[in-house]
Amino acid sequence: MKMNNIHTRVLGKFKSIQSAIFMALSILVLCAVIVVTAVSLQYTRSSIFENSVMYTQTIINQMNQNIDSYINYMENIASLVSGGEDVQEVLFREDSGSESRNRLKDQFHTILEGREDIKNLGILKVAGNALINDGTEEINPNLDISRQEWYEKAIEADGKSVLTSSHVQHVVKGERPWVITLTESIKNADDPEDSSGVFFIDLNYSAISELCDQNSVSDTGYVFIVDQDGNIVYHPQQQQLYNELQTENISLVMESTEDTFQVKNGSEERMYTLSRSEKTGWTVVGCINVEELLRTSNQARSIYLVTAIVLIIVALLISSLIARNITLPIQRLRDSMAKVQKGDFETADVEVLTENEIGSLTRSFNVMTHRIRELMEQNIHEQEEKRKSELKALQSQINPHFLYNTLDAIIWMAEGKKNEEVVLMTAALARLLRQSISNEDELVSIGQEIEYARSYLTIQKMRYKDKLEFQIEAEPSILAVQIIKLALQPIIENAIYHGLKYKESKGLLIVRGYEKEEDVILEIIDNGVGMDQEKLEHIFDRHKVNYHSNGVGVYNVQQRLRLYYGSGYGISYESREGEGTTATIRIPKRREADHEEA
Amino acid sequence: MKKHKKRLMLLAGVLVLACGAFVWNFFFRQPADKEQWSLIYVPKTEDGTNDFWTSLISGTRMAAKEYNISLEVLAPDAEQNVELQNELIEEAVLKKPDALLVSPSSFTESAGILEEAKKQGIRIVFIDSYMEEDLQDLTVATDNLEVGRKLGEYAGTLLTEDSKIAVVGHVQGVSTAIEREEGFREGLGEKEKNIVDVVYCDSMYEKSYRLTMELMEKYPDLEMIAGLNEYSSVGAARAVKDAGAQDRIRVVGVDSSQETVDLMEEGIFSGIVVQKAFKMGYVGVRETVRLLNGEKVEKNIDSGCELVTPENMYASEIEKLLFPFDSAKTQDEGK
Repeated sequence: MKMNNIHTRVLGKFKSIQSAIFMALSILVLCAVIVVTAVSLQYTRSSIFENSVMYTQTIINQMNQNIDSYINYMENIASLVSGGEDVQEVLFREDSGSESRNRLKDQFHTILEGREDIKNLGILKVAGNALINDGTEEINPNLDISRQEWYEKAIEADGKSVLTSSHVQHVVKGERPWVITLTESIKNADDPEDSSGVFFIDLNYSAISELCDQNSVSDTGYVFIVDQDGNIVYHPQQQQLYNELQTENISLVMESTEDTFQVKNGSEERMYTLSRSEKTGWTVVGCINVEELLRTSNQARSIYLVTAIVLIIVALLISSLIARNITLPIQRLRDSMAKVQKGDFETADVEVLTENEIGSLTRSFNVMTHRIRELMEQNIHEQEEKRKSELKALQSQINPHFLYNTLDAIIWMAEGKKNEEVVLMTAALARLLRQSISNEDELVSIGQEIEYARSYLTIQKMRYKDKLEFQIEAEPSILAVQIIKLALQPIIENAIYHGLKYKESKGLLIVRGYEKEEDVILEIIDNGVGMDQEKLEHIFDRHKVNYHSNGVGVYNVQQRLRLYYGSGYGISYESREGEGTTATIRIPKRREADHEEA
Repeated sequence: MKKHKKRLMLLAGVLVLACGAFVWNFFFRQPADKEQWSLIYVPKTEDGTNDFWTSLISGTRMAAKEYNISLEVLAPDAEQNVELQNELIEEAVLKKPDALLVSPSSFTESAGILEEAKKQGIRIVFIDSYMEEDLQDLTVATDNLEVGRKLGEYAGTLLTEDSKIAVVGHVQGVSTAIEREEGFREGLGEKEKNIVDVVYCDSMYEKSYRLTMELMEKYPDLEMIAGLNEYSSVGAARAVKDAGAQDRIRVVGVDSSQETVDLMEEGIFSGIVVQKAFKMGYVGVRETVRLLNGEKVEKNIDSGCELVTPENMYASEIEKLLFPFDSAKTQDEGK
């Protein structure tokens, strides 16, 4: 019950089922699209972030591995060279034979030939021998190598290889390149007390930058490397950084324990992804502009939104179509029902469009209207038949009271030897009887009807003697006009019994017939007692059956006139109390052809 | 029914239009790119031996690349060639750049052309040096008073009360020379009175060398020679080295080059004040772009300077200043 209430309340808001269906479908589709879009948007955003972090991590891990293997390779070269006997010979033995020096030169030369990324390599010892590259380069005589960081580090590490990141190499005269140096100290194998020498390889920047440039993390992202002390080993904007034109969040990178973090710097948000190498102690950092990620996500978002909107539009159109298709037959049915309600059965048939419930409903409706129409026609016909037979029955019989009274009157007159009057009255009665029996048609001419009225009036005049006088004035042109049978006599009878009978003095009844425009008017005028307003109003009531006549009352006459000629015709009464009553019958002069059959 | 349909169609139409506008806006109308400005820079000279100008120009080029603008450098072959520089400025003005960056060699002589350029709506930016007339929209330079002051203060610590000092300036009348000398005197304080002579080498190594030789002859008890730019300092240092007078005469100077560093390692130079040439060039272009973009910029920008001594010359901070880092170059090759 409550459910039903809600149901009606919600659906009742809509003027039509179509809009209800349309709204329901639209809301469902809208909700579905919104939910799906929202979920995908959320998912897209987070997955874009996760993906880019993962992608960056993969790349920088790969870079780190590349760097590790690269440094590994250099260490191999270093250990290969520094372990050799020629190195001992050249570094520690004063009277070094040029033979081992040459062999070492050749070795250095081969290494340099093969690898463009090695800027310099060599062995040297503070205040001792040295060999750099292929020996043609002059050692910077003014440089105190023991004060150089890479040399100090090598001695300190005592035989282990050490990386010195990003510094200027001053050791070759006339050249001061920025390099990364790998060093390894070399002990004097003969004299452990002797100070160690150092083997070094200077690596070009190109080696590292090429490793870093192989993969880009994103359009605006970049990769940089810092060493364990927070010095920059490689940065795409190294020169700007060195010239204080750029800053990098190195301290954050050094402090971070996470693999990734985000830094907001003014309006710019950056995401850093780190990969630390055990081997080199360096940290490879991938830096991505968050805005760029957001742009990708925004792009995806817009695509989703556009798709969603297009979907919604399509869904709206389709649901409107569906709603229309569902309700169109219902609407037709409704329109047809409205017609039937008004009584229009002619165009009430509804075309059956579908084979669903509504289709069968429509079919049933059509069958029903047809049946109703048939029944109605049948009913009308039956009614007509019934009315006709009733009328015949009424017409065919003369009121027994009237006949009895008239015969009584004839007897009295015969007893009084009033032969002439007896003849007159008997003739009138015979005429009356003949007229009522002979004609079986429904219609008679006005002339016949007037003759019938005259016979009746003659009898009544003789019966009431001094009390009644009558005149009949009919234009000859109307006498041939057809009128329904028994229209005039009941009105006259009514005038006599209700008007003239109660009059003290002699009454006059005038029957007047004339043409008026297209109609024929028959007036029954009496100067009887007249009727008051109340009586006048009830004159057409059904119960007012005149017992004195043959039961055909004013009501009956009025009904028949109306039925036959239409509502514009019939009897109208006019009366004044104490002065008399006028009844006016109005019928059309020319009858329509179709009425002939009815 | 019909009305309903009409309204529905209208709604759909509006939605489709809105959609279209949205798509158009998003996918086809890229965020309006900042206009590609055209800049022309006329330095005093471009000379492979002079690290200062090389570094400055590379700074301007890097900034141009970073800010995606077109930059043309029209450089005279020698620093004192005012006439040639004026010709180049004229040539630059004819090309109608959005901004003209100039390092004027003369304090006065280029005013006419630059005024003309300004009338044409070209923005004028001075880099390193400026002119008597206030024509510029922006100046990016080392605070040359500060350069002189740092040099003077350091020089003061190396000298006794009566040590005689000679100054080798670069070009007489140029703003940088005037200001550095003024700053140097300020930095020396009391000892300023010991400046016995000021000569001008017209930014030529040979002339500076010759003038220094003459000075050493003229003042046998000279204890310090101060050069005010790269040409004058290096020329003076070469002369002192060749005369074998490095134990007697201390040389201090301004601006570095490979040779300066070598000479410092050799013990000829006791100190140099280096300008941040790369930064100057870079900031010059960067600020010009900001000016053209209608951003608020400071009218006078000091690019800074640093004192380099044999003690700190291998320090990481100083190395970054002294030795041009060529990662940009290798990167270009890499790409």
